[in-house]
Amino acid sequence: KMAIRELKVCLLGDTGVGKSSIVCRFVQDHFDHNISPTIGASFLTKTVPCGHELHKFLIWDTAGQERFHSLAPMYYRGSAAAVIVYDITKLDSFQTLKKWVKELKEHGPEDIVVAIAGNKNDLGDIREVPMKEAKEFAESIAAIFIETSARNAVNIEELFQKISKQIPPLENPEVESNDSFKLTRAPAPSTRRCC
Amino acid sequence: MCKCCSCWKPPAEGRLTSLCVSARLESQGSSVHEQLPSCSGVGGERDSGYDSLKRRMSVFDRLSQTHPVWLLLSVSAEEATRILLTQPPGVFLVRKAAAVQKKVLSVRVEKVQSENAISHFPVRENQYSKCMYSIMHVCVCVDILPFTLKLPEAIASAKTQKELEEVAQLGAGYWNSALCSQRHCPRRPLSQTLSLQRSRGGDQGPLQAHSDSAPPILRSKTTGPVLHLERRHSSGPLCFLNPLFIQTHHCPHQHHCEPPFSLPPPRPPPPRLMPHRRPAPPPPLPTAATTRPKSMPAATMPAKPPQSSKRRPAPQPPKGPRYSDATKASNSPDPLPSYPPPPRPKKLDLEAQRCHIAMEDETIAEALSRAKLPSRRPPPADDVETNRDNLCAPQARGRQRLSDMSMSTSSSDSLDYSPSPDSSEYDENDDEDEEEDYGVGLETDLEMRLRQSSKSQRKRISVSLGGGSLILPKALKGRFQKVSGMLSSLVTPERRIIKKITELSQDRNSYFGSLVQDYIGFVQENRGCHTSGMDFLQTLRQFMTQMKAYLCQSSELDPPLESLIPEDQIDQVLEKAMHKSVLKPLKSVIQGILHDFQVNSGAWQQLKENLALAKTKRPQELGVDGAVLPDAASIDKIRQKFLNMRKMYSPEKKVSLLLRVCKLIYSVMQDNSGRMYGADDFLPMLTYVVAQCDVPQLDTEVEYMMELLDPSLLQGEGGYYLTSAYGAMALIKNFQEEQAARVLSSEARNTLHQWHRRRTAQRLAPSVNDFQNYLHVALQVDTGCTAKTLLVNPYTTTEEVCSLCAQKLKIQEPEQYALFLVTTETRQQLAPDTHPQRIKAELYSRPRTHTFHFLYRKVTDLNLCIPADGQNGVSSV
Repeated sequence: KMAIRELKVCLLGDTGVGKSSIVCRFVQDHFDHNISPTIGASFLTKTVPCGHELHKFLIWDTAGQERFHSLAPMYYRGSAAAVIVYDITKLDSFQTLKKWVKELKEHGPEDIVVAIAGNKNDLGDIREVPMKEAKEFAESIAAIFIETSARNAVNIEELFQKISKQIPPLENPEVESNDSFKLTRAPAPSTRRCC
Repeated sequence: MCKCCSCWKPPAEGRLTSLCVSARLESQGSSVHEQLPSCSGVGGERDSGYDSLKRRMSVFDRLSQTHPVWLLLSVSAEEATRILLTQPPGVFLVRKAAAVQKKVLSVRVEKVQSENAISHFPVRENQYSKCMYSIMHVCVCVDILPFTLKLPEAIASAKTQKELEEVAQLGAGYWNSALCSQRHCPRRPLSQTLSLQRSRGGDQGPLQAHSDSAPPILRSKTTGPVLHLERRHSSGPLCFLNPLFIQTHHCPHQHHCEPPFSLPPPRPPPPRLMPHRRPAPPPPLPTAATTRPKSMPAATMPAKPPQSSKRRPAPQPPKGPRYSDATKASNSPDPLPSYPPPPRPKKLDLEAQRCHIAMEDETIAEALSRAKLPSRRPPPADDVETNRDNLCAPQARGRQRLSDMSMSTSSSDSLDYSPSPDSSEYDENDDEDEEEDYGVGLETDLEMRLRQSSKSQRKRISVSLGGGSLILPKALKGRFQKVSGMLSSLVTPERRIIKKITELSQDRNSYFGSLVQDYIGFVQENRGCHTSGMDFLQTLRQFMTQMKAYLCQSSELDPPLESLIPEDQIDQVLEKAMHKSVLKPLKSVIQGILHDFQVNSGAWQQLKENLALAKTKRPQELGVDGAVLPDAASIDKIRQKFLNMRKMYSPEKKVSLLLRVCKLIYSVMQDNSGRMYGADDFLPMLTYVVAQCDVPQLDTEVEYMMELLDPSLLQGEGGYYLTSAYGAMALIKNFQEEQAARVLSSEARNTLHQWHRRRTAQRLAPSVNDFQNYLHVALQVDTGCTAKTLLVNPYTTTEEVCSLCAQKLKIQEPEQYALFLVTTETRQQLAPDTHPQRIKAELYSRPRTHTFHFLYRKVTDLNLCIPADGQNGVSSV
């Protein structure tokens, strides 16, 4: 049986860029009825398999309005990953994203996995942020980059899969030590029916 | 998830309770119970004195009291094999396999000295299986194994409590002791003692007469919480047992005696002081129980006190009236008609039991059905409008367990399935009544069990209990108390442990109790010694975390926790126990302290002003955009919930109430539109609601939760909404500044940073070095004697303690006073350079600790004035 590992993920980005739409889409597709639902869409959870682990994402949405900006540290502290969302049709939201990147670098958790999501890529005809620019920016800060469409469910799963892959797996020293234990102490294998 | 839970179906309405009770009776009838205390006046069925003595102890007793012998978690497979090879077939022990991190039952099997002489069965403890004892019990009672388990001879043949205790004292050392190798006369298989195995005809006199009585029903059709004992390579579990029944065989007159796991109300003489006990010889094998304390520094951790076996009141002789009742009423409606009538000798007793109940109050079933009449169906959790009755819900107590549990089951569990969202908020202070009150307790426990038994069914629980009722009118409680003993067998291991720890925490004769009581005393007496409310709450949290660590390691809890509940639940249960032991008695003091800090810093006044200002703002000014606003009635209801939050001591329960508030806000916002609102909409709305509610006390409530909540819950849903509430509060508190600067003060930001760092740092295991920073000192002056709890760390010298006392009492001539160690026999003045805390630890670590006090008083008043250096062991520890 795989161990469940809880991962706090925080969502940052301007108001209206579709932060919660992305997560709602992610959580609602293949809805897992075994997991007790959360009370609202600001905090959602979803469990996905990753290698030998199960990742349970505890997704903390934040309010994007400027007035709430100062509360953000409460939300991103302790996060294993941050998803910073911008709206490809709003250049301003990309500028805000850069501010978030800077803040995370200065105040965020050390090993936080940063993912940049350009949402609303279904509205390509009114795009204001070129994909190339965003991608290059992401590469410059070693962040995950992906363009998504919450409306059309494009690249939503992929976004979280990429995050999962970047989370370093837990070392499992116990397995190894047990092995060596067995090697050194196995005088009467026949009587050792178990362990 | 166990296979059996899924197939469990709730019984038809109203049947459940009587089912449990009848099941209990049935199993008694089955004489799993080897003994019925001799019931005077029962015709025919007489026993010799020998047997009646012997029968006092059920297998359960024998097992539970001697766990140091057979529960050897640290023993390896090889060691177990070595031990068991010298034993007759059927003898077993339980150990823990390092590789699989499971408990393993190692049994000597039939074959003599062959390779397979020992079998090992991993024990699967699922979430619901609580205790090793039940496993053992199953093994003993039900012939699911290819052979019968046998207790070690000395345990099986022990005739008295004392003998059992002596065996238990040996711990793992038993196996190498003379007691073990000495083979008593005809070794009797346990099953015979137990008289469960009925196959070999009656050849043993009275005992056998009993044994013929019953079908071994424990392998029952009952489902629900289930234990599995799995056999390696074999398919399927070997046995099932419903823990509901595990105690049923303990004592037939359980209304008079204590169930094995609950402490007798007044604790018997402090275990350490029992004079007749001899210290256990150092066991040749490492055992969990004996090695644990050794790993701790001697100065701060007392060594393990001698194994104190629990003293259980001996079963009382049956009361005369019952019997007359019984015979009179033997024709009364039988609540359990469907069970096979127990055979003769047993019959009278069983009848007596039934009739006792019947006479008591026209049967439980009837009582329950009466209680059920005012059937309250729980309102849908998300229905805003239907909950107006929430203030008139005294009878809805007991519900709270659900929400309580849901907080603790998972960090991210939602609370919305709590069947009656409003009912739990009012009665936390009734906890105590609830415990004495088995009627309600029963209901609660059943609910818990049901809930546990099937996750998917939990929304329906109260409904399946018959329209969500089973709530007993006050008038019935007294009646239920009369059968409380029987019902108490339904108390869950968690609650038993919590109760036990709580009781231990009040017992100054235990080390744990003295630490807790000293701390409580210190907090009560030294309100002013912290720099801020937060600082104060932090020390509280730290204390609780340390105490949890202590309880995990200490041997004061007997039997050890891991024998009662799965290890992954221990922390959560300990957390609850700490809330009850520490936060509950301190609740009003904490509130007072926090409020004082607020008032003194001026924050209270400012908060009130800002709240008043924020209340006048239109929703848009607070960032609310588009969603439906709560109306005045909803605001009022939320306000009420915030006020009720103040009545609770458990941070988890407070958080669960906060979650209900948030859920309510969501449902208003959505207004059946199905739209999902994220934080962009929710946080402004929460801020608006908080402003409208105008409850300045909410600020300390949030602080309380944030600092005291179990750190493991901070990442989950509770933590999220708590953070949001804090954020909303912070915005309001800084409202005026925000108007000017549009941002929070950097000060507030720093606070947030620090908060997180602190709370995450706390996840690290606490050191055990600094527990005992409190010392209870009696201060005797001319005017009288008072007791104070002082902050005294292990390195504080007696001299410093003296000057602290002098300060406290405003002593004019401190040089005339000194600190004394007073025991029942001696009084010793402590030298200035000694360390009282170390002395205390040293004293506690002795095998026989006598009662002792630290006394600060005038030197000249004493006849005895012994220089401290003369005292061995005390002078310079």
